[in-house]
Amino acid sequence: MGASTFGALSSANLLHAAAQATPTYRALVVVYLAGGNDSHNLIVPTSATEYGQYLDSRQNLAVAQNELLAINPTTPDGRTYGIHPAAPGIQTLFEDGKLAFIANVGNLLEPVTKAEYDADSKPVPPRLFSHNDQTQQSMRVAADGAATLGWAGAFADRVVGLNGVTPLSPSVTLSGSSPLLAGQTTQQYHLSKNGSVSLSGFNGSTGAALRSTFDLLRAQSQPHLLQQQYRTMRNESIELDDLLSGVLEAAPDLVTTFPDDSGFAETMEMVAKMIQVRSSLGMERQVFYVKKGGFDTHAGQLDDQPELFGDLSATLAAFQAAMEELNTANEVTVAVISEFGRTLSSNGQGTDHGWGGHFMVMGGSVAGRDIYGTMPSLVLDGPDDSGDKGRIIPTQSMDQVAATLGRWFGVNPAQLPTIFPNLGNFASSDLGFLP
Amino acid sequence: MGMKVRPTGAPVVGALAATALLAACSGGGGDDAGPPPDPWWITAGPGMDLPADDEDGSRFLTQATFGPNESEMTGLAYAGFDAWFEYQLDVAPSLHRPRLLARITAGENVLQNQRQEEWWYASVRGPDQLRQRMAFALSEIMVISDAAGALKNQVLGVSEYYDVLVRGALGNYRDLLEDVTKSPAMGVYLSHLKNQKGDPVTGIRPDENYAREIMQLFSIGLVELEADGTVRLDGSNQPIPTYDQADIEELARVMTGWSYAGATNWNFPQANFLAPMEPWEEYHDADAKTIVTGALIPAGLTAEEDLDAALDVLFNHPNTGPFISRRLIQRLVTSNPSPAYVGRVAAVFADDGEGVRGNLAAVARAILMDDEARNGHLAAPTTFGKVREPLIRLAGLWRAFDAGAATGRFRYWNPQNDFGQAALRAPTVFNFFEPDYAPPGPVADADLVGPEFQITTHTTVTTVANEWRDRILRAYPGFGSANQDTVTLNLTDELALADDPAALIDHLDLLLMGGQMSNDMRQTLINHVTGVDIDAGNKADGMQRVIDAIYLIVTSPEGSIQR
Repeated sequence: MGASTFGALSSANLLHAAAQATPTYRALVVVYLAGGNDSHNLIVPTSATEYGQYLDSRQNLAVAQNELLAINPTTPDGRTYGIHPAAPGIQTLFEDGKLAFIANVGNLLEPVTKAEYDADSKPVPPRLFSHNDQTQQSMRVAADGAATLGWAGAFADRVVGLNGVTPLSPSVTLSGSSPLLAGQTTQQYHLSKNGSVSLSGFNGSTGAALRSTFDLLRAQSQPHLLQQQYRTMRNESIELDDLLSGVLEAAPDLVTTFPDDSGFAETMEMVAKMIQVRSSLGMERQVFYVKKGGFDTHAGQLDDQPELFGDLSATLAAFQAAMEELNTANEVTVAVISEFGRTLSSNGQGTDHGWGGHFMVMGGSVAGRDIYGTMPSLVLDGPDDSGDKGRIIPTQSMDQVAATLGRWFGVNPAQLPTIFPNLGNFASSDLGFLP
Repeated sequence: MGMKVRPTGAPVVGALAATALLAACSGGGGDDAGPPPDPWWITAGPGMDLPADDEDGSRFLTQATFGPNESEMTGLAYAGFDAWFEYQLDVAPSLHRPRLLARITAGENVLQNQRQEEWWYASVRGPDQLRQRMAFALSEIMVISDAAGALKNQVLGVSEYYDVLVRGALGNYRDLLEDVTKSPAMGVYLSHLKNQKGDPVTGIRPDENYAREIMQLFSIGLVELEADGTVRLDGSNQPIPTYDQADIEELARVMTGWSYAGATNWNFPQANFLAPMEPWEEYHDADAKTIVTGALIPAGLTAEEDLDAALDVLFNHPNTGPFISRRLIQRLVTSNPSPAYVGRVAAVFADDGEGVRGNLAAVARAILMDDEARNGHLAAPTTFGKVREPLIRLAGLWRAFDAGAATGRFRYWNPQNDFGQAALRAPTVFNFFEPDYAPPGPVADADLVGPEFQITTHTTVTTVANEWRDRILRAYPGFGSANQDTVTLNLTDELALADDPAALIDHLDLLLMGGQMSNDMRQTLINHVTGVDIDAGNKADGMQRVIDAIYLIVTSPEGSIQR
């Protein structure tokens, strides 16, 4: 089926929409930590045995035990945990019940044990530990890499009917084209962190005539596919700007302040602005994609990680505060994901590409202050290590996390196995962190 | 259709000499002493292998350089392709670092901003256009970036890396692979600088970063390829990985024991970004390694010997030719080359005709002179070509209209904000865009790719257009708000055509669109120009017509695609 970028209505979507109860606004904000987040240093065991194992594995990259910020999960697992000292905002959000960790998530086709991995007796996703492949796989609907749709795009396809008739897609990226938002009937709209950009240059006595010819040229269709594609982008950009720039400008400033000197904070603030103006735009369901880079910490990890976690933590806290200010906290869920975790072992200056890592979910609807799933052993060549370098075998799949998000977002649960063909391979399609 | 730069049968040399003189005098750089030398085509004399027509010459120069201008089109039409390539191989490389050093010596504070100015200068003004265009293509394949914190302040170090690419752009790929590997800027960017052998006591082990990316991105790629670049499939129709994690860990051990040239302390070396890295044997893992393809590197070799052996394996891998050939074709000519085209170029990579593998000059020529490059727009009129990269387009605009500022600089420091790209400033080692990016819509629906669409978003499609406003509508001779940094277009030739709208549009079509403008667009532009009073906009006679026409062509969907 040909994809249209706009929020086109299909009869299937209308039927689905009609079957829903009165819609209430819901937004899913996916924050992608690009490069592979070393989450083993974000949430760290503090109980003596486990911290000792962590220290043995991490060597010079370990965070000091007495610097970790204590948390108290609702469901104890017999161990204690702390948060990286640069992330007090995450500690507070967790303790306030607004944030949860999802333990040891990664790309999987089906559950696999160390014995099975060693024996090569279960299929695993192709090209593990490669950035772009694992990014694709974490965002596409089938982890075998063959699919062309992103899971958030597939969600948008199924809820677009709840939105008003509008040229604005339910899927908005603030960080460039993302496979996550590739849908069949919906495609992503690109918004900059500064908002919509307006075309300019048509000034003076000759400006009107110039604009008129400019518009004639962009109205001309050509047989060349690249020209068609370019023309579509140009026309959509102008049409959406006509819709958005005025609405965004008219919105009152948020009282909540976001951190200074952070592109990520500016971007999340723009997401908050879009949520603020949702009613003017006729939006009932929206997906936002935000990428924060710099997590590929092969070198300089000790210097870079505090900065990365500090920015992440402070910005998440500000975003949550903004949602509370807008009275949308219960209607917005933020999921913080990454393409893979990193090695527990050190290369001296940093860590290399791993597999399982811990994700976060945040929002008023999240059953927070808990760790969902089982925290792995951090022993090199231990029961959860795929080898002897600390590339941890995930125990929960990206599909399970995404399906849990999708159900909350309003996707018909019966459709989840269609979206995620491998979902049935796992014990549960609902990890329980959302109602 | 199209302006004839060389009237059939007319004597050419007198006209050529006049054109050459004009080109030599209008540079505006002000750094030449003495009388200008003869242009290359005068030295070369008349050739036999001429472009098929003016459109072919314009298209060729669009693919092979930062963009055609009238003098290069004239020269090519006179001396021919052979002479052009010969001159391009012969002419001295235009480098960044020496010019930056001279500016430092002159007391200037040199930052990445100044590095960008020198990139523009070499790209717009360098006579070594093929080398410059190839170097830029290579900078999007063998990526480092000053967006990385560790390189942010290394202005000369990053410029030296670009110079490595410029010097190697028409050399041998094996040499380039080695020079890139030993570049301290790359060593910092992909963290093999100061990478040391594993410590069995602590479990600290070699950094895998460079080992992975040199295979995935700079040489063999992820999966086995046929000689024509298509993906080889196994019995169950699955791609066959070229390497596994164990191969990476072994190659990571090869990449140990390198630090800055002249360093005297391994742990706290003095940074030297201007010379290749040097080995430290005591930090190098000298045990035996089995790398990709099962190649054994025996124990007891030095860091240098290990590296040589590993680079030989990667360079000679059957994937490397088709892998690099396809990427270069995509950067110069078309996003979707046919397998046969890739195969022909890869065959030249394998053997340049004289038994040499990896001859990039021969590869460049094979790419540009291939029938698909020369005639693909006729054979595949709805798919051939590529999105014009904004950086190349602006350099091309400045070349086409021989633009310059009073300062002699091209002061455009942060094109990434408007264009989504700037020289050596990609967000990651995966470049500004990936070779297999397929934008949703007509391109993906036809199973094609359009890499540059990854930076052609709803945002940048407009920020790019707004930049053209500044670079055209606010950069004409006599623009009231111009300052000494304004890169002003020289529009003398165009103003002479302003009272003949059809001739003006045809001239611009040849210069900016390879003479491929559709009839609809041409008629729309002629109507527009005709409707603009000759003295409109309180500008010199004809000026509004000329700048309107240029702006409309450059911002048009048609003009945004190179075919």
